[in-house]
Amino acid sequence: MLRPFAIAWIELKRFGADRGAVAFGIALPIALFALMYGVFGQGASFSATASVVDLDGGPVAAELIDRLSAFDGLGVEILTEAEADQALDRSHILTAVFIPAGFSESLEAGEPASVLFKRRGSGGDTGQIVSQIVHGVAQDIAAEFEIRELVRSRLEGSGVPEAQIVATVGDLMEQAGVASAIAVESRAVGVEEDALDRLIPGVLTMFLMFAATISAASIIVERNAGTLERLLTTRLSVNQLFAGKFLASVGRAMVQALILLSLAFAILRVGDAATFARVVAFSLLIAAAVSSLGLVVAGMARTQEQATWGSVFLTMTLTVFSGTFISVGETGVLAFLSRLTLNKYAIDAIGDMLTGSGGLAGQGPEAAILGGIAVVGFVVARVAFRTA
Amino acid sequence: MGSTDRIPLLSAFAPRSRRKPDSYSSQRMFTSKPSSHLPHDDSGFLTATGLSKSFDGAPVVDDVSFAIGRQEVFGLLGPNGAGKTTTIRMLSTVLAPDAGDVTIGGHSVLREADEVRKIIGVCPQELALYEELSARDNLVFFGRMAGLGRRQAKDAAAENLELVGLADRASDPVRKFSGGMKRRVNLAVALMSKPQLLFLDEPTVGVDPQSRNHIFETILRLRDEGMTVLYTTHYMEEADRLCDNIGVMDHGRLIALDTPVGLKSEIGDPDEVTLEQVFLNLTGRSLRD
Repeated sequence: MLRPFAIAWIELKRFGADRGAVAFGIALPIALFALMYGVFGQGASFSATASVVDLDGGPVAAELIDRLSAFDGLGVEILTEAEADQALDRSHILTAVFIPAGFSESLEAGEPASVLFKRRGSGGDTGQIVSQIVHGVAQDIAAEFEIRELVRSRLEGSGVPEAQIVATVGDLMEQAGVASAIAVESRAVGVEEDALDRLIPGVLTMFLMFAATISAASIIVERNAGTLERLLTTRLSVNQLFAGKFLASVGRAMVQALILLSLAFAILRVGDAATFARVVAFSLLIAAAVSSLGLVVAGMARTQEQATWGSVFLTMTLTVFSGTFISVGETGVLAFLSRLTLNKYAIDAIGDMLTGSGGLAGQGPEAAILGGIAVVGFVVARVAFRTA
Repeated sequence: MGSTDRIPLLSAFAPRSRRKPDSYSSQRMFTSKPSSHLPHDDSGFLTATGLSKSFDGAPVVDDVSFAIGRQEVFGLLGPNGAGKTTTIRMLSTVLAPDAGDVTIGGHSVLREADEVRKIIGVCPQELALYEELSARDNLVFFGRMAGLGRRQAKDAAAENLELVGLADRASDPVRKFSGGMKRRVNLAVALMSKPQLLFLDEPTVGVDPQSRNHIFETILRLRDEGMTVLYTTHYMEEADRLCDNIGVMDHGRLIALDTPVGLKSEIGDPDEVTLEQVFLNLTGRSLRD
């Protein structure tokens, strides 16, 4: 019963002991990810640093700096006045925000206050964006103080404590910010968002196929090395041998899929932790299906060349016709051909999960098809296998 | 000596000058075609009867019959392509014969292959090892495939690495070993299940003298401990030194079977004649041709 697991374990151990295979196994998903990131990732997020000089040192200045730091994609660098001026002079930075002395005191007294935004030239595109962000955050704080002053003046003489006014206004401002009456929805127009949605599951599936089919060729390697024949003189049955190879193939594919998915989720931020878990779980099913197909190739191939080229042909054919790189639409010949590939169902299911339009439970038909391929493929591979 | 006439080797029951395996003298069986009228003795630990195999219509093993007694070292000699390895593959359940059958320990390789695999160990001609893994990992893995539990496999690995003199290199990857050391690991793997019958297919090819001596000593020790060994080799002096009985194969047929002394006696004084000369006399060519 445990022999298939022992085979899978030894295969993974051999994989780990082969530095070339490990380097390739890790480098390939990283390279694929870098390709995706290069094409789609960089325009998807903003990143800049705001150089801030705090000449005030008061609580409102600290609040402004905290809110800037919390802004998505914006880092804050605190400089002295001299450092900032020198950096601007030398063009080391193009913009700097100066919070003047007395800033907090003025606002707390209900008087107007200002921040100084120094820039070198136009400040550059990034500088202008940072300027707008600082402007917006400062306006929010100013509005909060203004409202607080209005409330305080209306309640003057009512006996409501100052601390309660501050806390209530703060809570209400926060609620207004979270549950804004006007929701702003961001929707990308054009092809990029759709392409990324399709490409991640497509590349993941293709990658699982490569990993699984190439590793399944290990049967041929074992045949050539004589270890297969040696195994067949032990008490290991051919079914156990295939089960072990299947488990090893799934294991190897999942190691590489995890690398690819971790990078995609961490850097491209294509989903949350729950989505990650769902995609990983479904990837296991895809890995099972492609591993079975890999075993079919390995079971039929008589030489390593046949196994390698059979794997490449299978992977590329299914990838191309599934619509990984091109949209195949819903009707027509391409759409029909795509339905004959397992990639189509894998891509559809993972795409649904990534876009949030479907959970794991909603992928029943796709899961059934992939599970069916895994079972049928295993049986066909076993039947096609010849010991000599 | 250069004659191509075949010696009518009917000396199968000739007195043996070497150690006799248990009850062996009554178990021996040697055939050319047809096998049906040849003696057959089921008391042999291994009994091959009318074993034949063809590839693409070309006979590779042709009606081979012989028997091996318990605790015997049996040598199968012949040039490349004689059919030795194919015979071993059929005996070890890897290849199904086209005709004939083999029983080992009373179990048919055709009908009870699982039972046969429990009592055999195979040391193939190739270095059938995972070179990326350590010697210990190889032994433990194949031990587990042979039915040992994890603990048993680890203990057996330590014991067998000690036996082949590689205990101090147990953790090293096999790829770092010399050819001779790899051969010793190859042998140690075959011993993991403590087989009753050990197949050794050219175990000393390309081996340095030190490793060869180590392998010889190991085989003799195993025999003394009760193991039966079927041994193929190109090296006549090895066969002469190790084997209790020798079968000579050529063109897929077993053309002679006797003790080394018996074979040599057919053409002269056994103290002066070599097995190389016997082979030349039988086939008209040198074993290494």
